[in-house]
Amino acid sequence: MNKFALKASAMAVAASLSSGVLASEHNLDMRVSLILDGIYFNELKHGAHSPAGFGGGHDHGHDHGHSHGIEEGFNLGHSELAFEASLGELLDGVLLLGFDNDHIEVEEAYLKTRSLPAGFQVKGGKFLSDIGYINSRHSHDWDFVDRPLVNEYLFGDHGLQETGIQATWLAPSDTYTLIGVELLQGENAEVANYIGEQEAEDGTDRILKDRAGPRLLTAFTKWAPDLGHDHALQLGASGGYSFSYQYTDQHSTRHEDWEGTAWFAGVDAVYKYESGRSYGQGNLTLQAEYFYREIDVDRRDVNFEADGNGPIGHIRNVSSFKNKQDGLYAQAVYGFLPRWEAGVRAEALGLTNDLGRGDGTSHDASFRYSGQLTFRPVEPIFLRAQVNHNDFAEEGDGHSHGGWDLMLQVNVALGAHGAHTF
Amino acid sequence: MKKQLGLSLVLLVSLLLATASWAGSFRIVTTTSTLGMLAEEIGGDLVQVRVLAAPDRDAHDLDARPSFMAAVRRADLLIEMGAGLEEGWLPAVTGNAANPAVNYGRPGHLRASDFTDLRPSITVEGPNTGHVHEEGNPHFNLDPDRMARVAQVIGRRLGFFFPDQAEELEARAEALGQQLRDHAGRLAAQVKPNQQFIIYHEDLDYLEEWLPVKNVGYLEPIPGLPPTSSHLRALVQEFSGQEGRVLYANYQPSRGARFLEEHLGWPGYALPLEPAIGSGLEGYLNLMTEWAAAFEQK
Repeated sequence: MNKFALKASAMAVAASLSSGVLASEHNLDMRVSLILDGIYFNELKHGAHSPAGFGGGHDHGHDHGHSHGIEEGFNLGHSELAFEASLGELLDGVLLLGFDNDHIEVEEAYLKTRSLPAGFQVKGGKFLSDIGYINSRHSHDWDFVDRPLVNEYLFGDHGLQETGIQATWLAPSDTYTLIGVELLQGENAEVANYIGEQEAEDGTDRILKDRAGPRLLTAFTKWAPDLGHDHALQLGASGGYSFSYQYTDQHSTRHEDWEGTAWFAGVDAVYKYESGRSYGQGNLTLQAEYFYREIDVDRRDVNFEADGNGPIGHIRNVSSFKNKQDGLYAQAVYGFLPRWEAGVRAEALGLTNDLGRGDGTSHDASFRYSGQLTFRPVEPIFLRAQVNHNDFAEEGDGHSHGGWDLMLQVNVALGAHGAHTF
Repeated sequence: MKKQLGLSLVLLVSLLLATASWAGSFRIVTTTSTLGMLAEEIGGDLVQVRVLAAPDRDAHDLDARPSFMAAVRRADLLIEMGAGLEEGWLPAVTGNAANPAVNYGRPGHLRASDFTDLRPSITVEGPNTGHVHEEGNPHFNLDPDRMARVAQVIGRRLGFFFPDQAEELEARAEALGQQLRDHAGRLAAQVKPNQQFIIYHEDLDYLEEWLPVKNVGYLEPIPGLPPTSSHLRALVQEFSGQEGRVLYANYQPSRGARFLEEHLGWPGYALPLEPAIGSGLEGYLNLMTEWAAAFEQK
């Protein structure tokens, strides 16, 4: 795997050095770009590792590493190798490989039509869902080093990234109005966790059942009025329903199984002011998102070993409950000098933080505040310093004394120009 | 449920009808205002023109805004300069505008750089740090002769869409081109020959194609990289004791030009590169006059 990554990146470097374009007459046939990212991470003051209600354990079935697996010291951050090609005027194809120190992964591999009539487009393959705003963006497009908490803890370390199809319709109006639906396989650990049927214990079936995909349906809309050359605004609303949310945890003598459904909904807004001055001076971007997620499950535990409660196959803890959680962030980034940007971000996670398991628990909300400084010496390079202050709620007793993190990032884009999406 | 379905059907049909009624006017979307001027002057009442890039901004450096996609969604004809000028944002616009009529290769997409030769770009040889114009320098809107050729192409293309008026459209394009060339000739005759000038980025060097002037350097050490003090000092050393001018686009920083003005005595001129949207042929002719006026007159 590693070898392949090296080979592929060497190829891309060679390609980008020669011209940034492969086999092309009009720059449209094949574009290759390589994004290299390095992060230095230093925990200045230790705080709670994960926000209450979102950590490991029984809360919702997924144990997070610290800050997307960033370790203290030097990290090969999130690097990418992207290929974009067009099949005549029929389709655009994208293959995006992400890699870090020890693994390479297909982040996106999809085809998108550009030849359907009446404003329709269909995308199929593996892709980042268009729900919300930041979810579909890759890390080198972010204004901060790390993913917003709400996206990380409600949709996972990669956001909502699924295999399936998407259909969109762009309205024929001066005001940009896009409506889209996505039918997805449903493998996301946070909103569509899937396990499938498990072996019976001494004749007692488990509650978990096979369920054929696709298991996740999402819908989104984006609306953006034309505000002239200086201002731009985009508002979005999105949601999703997972036909299957399953979870299992193995205790000392029993399996704890959850079987049910999940849904989520959110809103997002982005405003950009473009000053028209060179190198981004005077530009301002405001961005905010809110998402709510509800998991609605039946629980049934089955003994795989005899214990004080009963023999193998003994059923207990039969219950039904809901987990209701949400989160939001708001951020502002301003170009205070040519090629220099500064940004602030405030986040809350678990303003609603009700977990129904057992007698039910409600955790406090966690908060994080970030500040960043970015310098872009030339177009394809940026250097970023970021400080995070975590004020995470602890599972037991209220808030931890907050932690402080420092992150330094270097990001270089080689090869073809990436398009500047809004 | 049935009632809702009926209602949405009515909505859909009325939307489709609305689309049909908009189709009455031929919509042209152009990336820059010079192209918008050509399309408007040639198309006249037949067309409705929308320009995407603000004329006082660097057309390299735009976002693929939602409003751009909304405009291209309904375009009958999309006209771009090409040669990499809009490379950073136009592919993202056309790829998401859901309008197959303006796909590259269709009559609804006109890439001006396909129809004219370009000045070679210095970015091709240098180290790959800023943006690379591998097809040549794409800022040929500064050359009236090349724009006259583009006018001809636009005239022919509009003639394809309006076969009944094709002759008239082509004649109008021809006349427009002639006006551009005549004005260029008049201006060139007034400029004192053999003047040299330094520019910020490779764009205004197109002036030497039609004025008797010579571009001798750039404030950027490498295209895309802002002027460094060592590069500016090298320029001062190289041209010390000589006469010349410094020209730069009004959206480019003036600091480097001020440095040369101070140390070489070369006057600096911040110039618009594109005419105001909707200012018509006159706007472009005035712009040409402004460019020529940056040089010493006879």
